[in-house]
Amino acid sequence: MVQAPMAREQLFALREEIARLEGKPVPAMAAARQEALAERGGRDREKPRLPLGVTMLDEALEGGVPLDGLSEIRSSCLRDATASAGFALALSALMQKQATADATPILWIADRVTSMETGVPYALGLKDFGLDPQRFLHAAPRKLDEALWLAETAVESGAFAVTLLEVKGNPAHFGLTESRRLSLRARAAGRPLLLLRQSGEEEASSTAFRFLVEPAPAAIRLLPDRSMLDGSIGHPVFRLTLEKSRNPAPLSLILEWNPHDRQFFPAREPEYARPPLKRTAHPGSRLSASLNRPDRPQEMGSVMAFDQAS
Amino acid sequence: MRLTALDEAAEAIGLRKNQAVAEARAICPKLDVVEEDPAADRRLLDGIADWCDRYTPLVALDGRDGLFLDITGCTHLFGGEKALLQDVLSRLFQMGIDARGAISSAPGLSWGIARFGNGDVIADEEMELVLSPLPVAALRLEEETVAALQKLGLKQVGDLIHAPRAPLARRFGAHLLLRLDQALGLDEEPVSPRRPVASLSAERRLAEPVQAEEDILHLTGQIALSLKTSLEERGAGGRAFELVLFRVDGRVFRVAAGASQPLRDPRRIAALFSERLQAVHDDLDAGYGFEILRLNVTRHEAFDAAQEDFAGDRQKNVSLAGFVDRVSARLGEDCLQSFHLCESHVPERAVIAAPAIRTLSSGKGPENSGVSWSRGERPLRLFPRPEAVEVSLAEVPEGPPESFRWRRMLHRVSRSEGPERLAMEWWIDGPDAGARDYFRIEDDTGHRFWIYREGLYGQLPPPRWFMHGIFA
Repeated sequence: MVQAPMAREQLFALREEIARLEGKPVPAMAAARQEALAERGGRDREKPRLPLGVTMLDEALEGGVPLDGLSEIRSSCLRDATASAGFALALSALMQKQATADATPILWIADRVTSMETGVPYALGLKDFGLDPQRFLHAAPRKLDEALWLAETAVESGAFAVTLLEVKGNPAHFGLTESRRLSLRARAAGRPLLLLRQSGEEEASSTAFRFLVEPAPAAIRLLPDRSMLDGSIGHPVFRLTLEKSRNPAPLSLILEWNPHDRQFFPAREPEYARPPLKRTAHPGSRLSASLNRPDRPQEMGSVMAFDQAS
Repeated sequence: MRLTALDEAAEAIGLRKNQAVAEARAICPKLDVVEEDPAADRRLLDGIADWCDRYTPLVALDGRDGLFLDITGCTHLFGGEKALLQDVLSRLFQMGIDARGAISSAPGLSWGIARFGNGDVIADEEMELVLSPLPVAALRLEEETVAALQKLGLKQVGDLIHAPRAPLARRFGAHLLLRLDQALGLDEEPVSPRRPVASLSAERRLAEPVQAEEDILHLTGQIALSLKTSLEERGAGGRAFELVLFRVDGRVFRVAAGASQPLRDPRRIAALFSERLQAVHDDLDAGYGFEILRLNVTRHEAFDAAQEDFAGDRQKNVSLAGFVDRVSARLGEDCLQSFHLCESHVPERAVIAAPAIRTLSSGKGPENSGVSWSRGERPLRLFPRPEAVEVSLAEVPEGPPESFRWRRMLHRVSRSEGPERLAMEWWIDGPDAGARDYFRIEDDTGHRFWIYREGLYGQLPPPRWFMHGIFA
């Protein structure tokens, strides 16, 4: 009977540990203890976050992108791979800016197929994008398990401001278990890890947040007298969708990246640059009505207004 | 077809070298003739030479069937010269190799005695005495010289030693006297080892062979610990290491590992090999175990001892170097690369990717002065080889395309910037290389590309368009 309280104590400690690892709210008793600790010891228990400087997004992210865990950035097709890579690198530039001593490099773990399809990171381009090519390491593993090992080792070594792991599609060997493992490693090491899923589907994973990145027409260059240079291609712009977060409704917004100031700005979609309406390849009625079979189901509802003519 | 080598049984029935096979078959119909395979003989000799590394790092190959071992300073480890010679010969005999050997202070004398005399340890004062009764062939001479000497009745080396030198040199050339002097130890003869000699080396001989990887790593750590003091004395740290594993049955494995910074810490050296052994796991067949482990430092550099500071900045460098070493040991040097900017305006030459393990310690690498000139924005991802793009309609003479087809997809250009003309480097590409006109292009879906035109409209050959990169 004497041992029972001891065992209970251990059990609670273990539960607390698990809750802390999983980032869930800790059980009530432990929470109370932590609050007391927080009052005494300040905000050291709070998870480090990276604010993006855009209020709407930061609120949805509960303060920003976690600096001690896994976040996923996804592109829906390989054509958009550079846009998603650009967003990930912009985040990395911010993380590097915030990292201590500003001397920590970035590790890019490339995927072989994606590199063949969309090119390899280019040092001068990185420089133009607001990153220091001297502090950028590029790893090209041959297989996925090597890439995963690299990511784990890099996060554990603590030598990198951020580790980017590029994955093509939804490989079978990279499922929930592996992403959970990576996420736990990142959390234990207190280092950010960005998973860059190129041309992949949405998939259940252990990440706290998942962004879908699509390209958007670039901003217009500003002349020194603050007038716009018509027809110019300025700072890159991303169409960002926050697919996974605590907030159930996906948030969609357009962000402009300023490489010189290393800062995000919310951008409005310019009127002239709106993507054209999705045109079908063969305009006109699809099929003639059949003669001797039941008609195809009629469309529900009724037309309220036609598309704008111009 | 002629006989090139014989075993003892064949010699006993009176067969000779250079005998025709048909003649030999006539003497002994049951003769088993195997075709000669010089490459396999060579591999065997290489294997034995590898095995001989256990006695000395200076092992040299000699012709098709001989080995020179420079045992200067090694004999006391094996209980003297005589014991060493017996150890070599008895071990080789147990492996099924019929070997003969001799120890003397001149390689030429050892060669002659091992082949023509009774192999033994020859003291310096009895060199002439031992050499005199040997046939002249023991001097490593060409066959014609030997035949000519024998015709003259100079059958033994002793006849040559006391003969006047000038007529000998005039008749047979300086080579004969050189060989004679070398056999007598009057002329220095260098033995060129087959492997570069490690600058530092330590080994552990085991009574009980080890097989398990953990044991090997543990021992490696211990050997590294014994190397640490020698490294400290030199003020150096190792950049390249080699772990030599001698298997019980005579096979020798060599596992090399590099480090991005000079290393001294035994734990980090052992950690290098733990990754390396993971990588070579399948090639390393422990068999019945390894009996000797040797750790060589093949390259070392000055080690600048730095004190830990409170900010932990050095700790960060150490962890980065440790990471680079681990990855390079496990996945190869080329897996992890860093970029360096060069003085070139041709996009693909402006950046060089080099293995991180080589560039990490050298610091910043080349200076980035190459990008001081004003240039347009560069894409985030560059194709190593530009891809052809189909352009049907472009502004003439040198405007951007209206639309283009790349990878079977039609892209309509909504905005463009350019051209930025980059002439190729005539000192590399030759004077005929055409300039490239680069355009930044945005299509109507917001994708941004970097495409260029090679050649000009209205000239022959007609211009071609290429996709070279993609902007974020």
